[in-house]
Amino acid sequence: MAKVQEITVWASGVVQDKEARDVAQCLAAAAAKEGKFVQAFDNYVDLPDRVNVPVRKYARISDSEIEEKYVYENHNPEIVILVEPTLVKGVNVLRGMEGDGCLIVNTGRSPEEILKFIPDKKPLKKIACVDAMKICPKAVIDFSGSEGAVEAAGVGVGIGAVLAGAAAKVSGCVAIDSLMSEVGNPEAAKRGFDEVTIKEL
Amino acid sequence: MKSHEVKIAKEKLLPEAGIVKAPSPNGEQETMITGCWRVLRPVIDREKCTMCRSCWIFCPDQAIEIAEEKMAVKLKYCKGCGICAEVCPVGAIERVPELDFEDGVVRLEKLF
Repeated sequence: MAKVQEITVWASGVVQDKEARDVAQCLAAAAAKEGKFVQAFDNYVDLPDRVNVPVRKYARISDSEIEEKYVYENHNPEIVILVEPTLVKGVNVLRGMEGDGCLIVNTGRSPEEILKFIPDKKPLKKIACVDAMKICPKAVIDFSGSEGAVEAAGVGVGIGAVLAGAAAKVSGCVAIDSLMSEVGNPEAAKRGFDEVTIKEL
Repeated sequence: MKSHEVKIAKEKLLPEAGIVKAPSPNGEQETMITGCWRVLRPVIDREKCTMCRSCWIFCPDQAIEIAEEKMAVKLKYCKGCGICAEVCPVGAIERVPELDFEDGVVRLEKLF
């Protein structure tokens, strides 16, 4: 079985729940468009209906069929995206990363400032910062409780599109053209792709 | 005591759920450390603080304590909800982005 590329998106519960789900869904949908095998899902353990609780959203991209259908967690993420930058202080977000990993943070701060809070930089290959709230000052808050089954607001219309675009540039997991055709706000995805600050380690 | 009165033990008069038999031994919930939820940290200005204890009363997580004769925040459990800053009558509590501080790193290995 070919290696499955695992993507984990961290966010604050309720207020960033939808945007984080959009990042995972857009990346998976764009990869599916390129003919890859994908999965995208939420983590049910994280009590997602509490405001500000750290929540995780997952995506998996693979060239061959993904066999782990009933594994509900990405144990060895290769790409970690933080919708809420403060989580670098609260949780070991790089847990399980095996090497050559990417960390994409939604912040206006520099990558060096974020690196201060990461004690074990060994598995990390690239760290990138993008100020998604400045590029697209709209974070969709979804109170429908449908957990993605009904997307009335549209998928990828807010900061999620910017972060997905940044992830496409940093990790190269999907091409920007296929991503732009999948998100609701292609300009925001392109700007995230162009304006992300990358630091190689 | 009159003969027709029934003797009932004192604790039986209270509903079972209302009785706290003993305080929690350590007063902390180690399995639910909520400091990692915080985005904005409440910072108490010790000069302005008048020790009215409004923040201590209103804090839903009992994350405010009295340390060195002034109010202080237990950063391990403060979720950063900002209620203390709202209720402070003298405006002594300011909310500062958590990433401005190098301390207060919780870093849980596993969330739950």
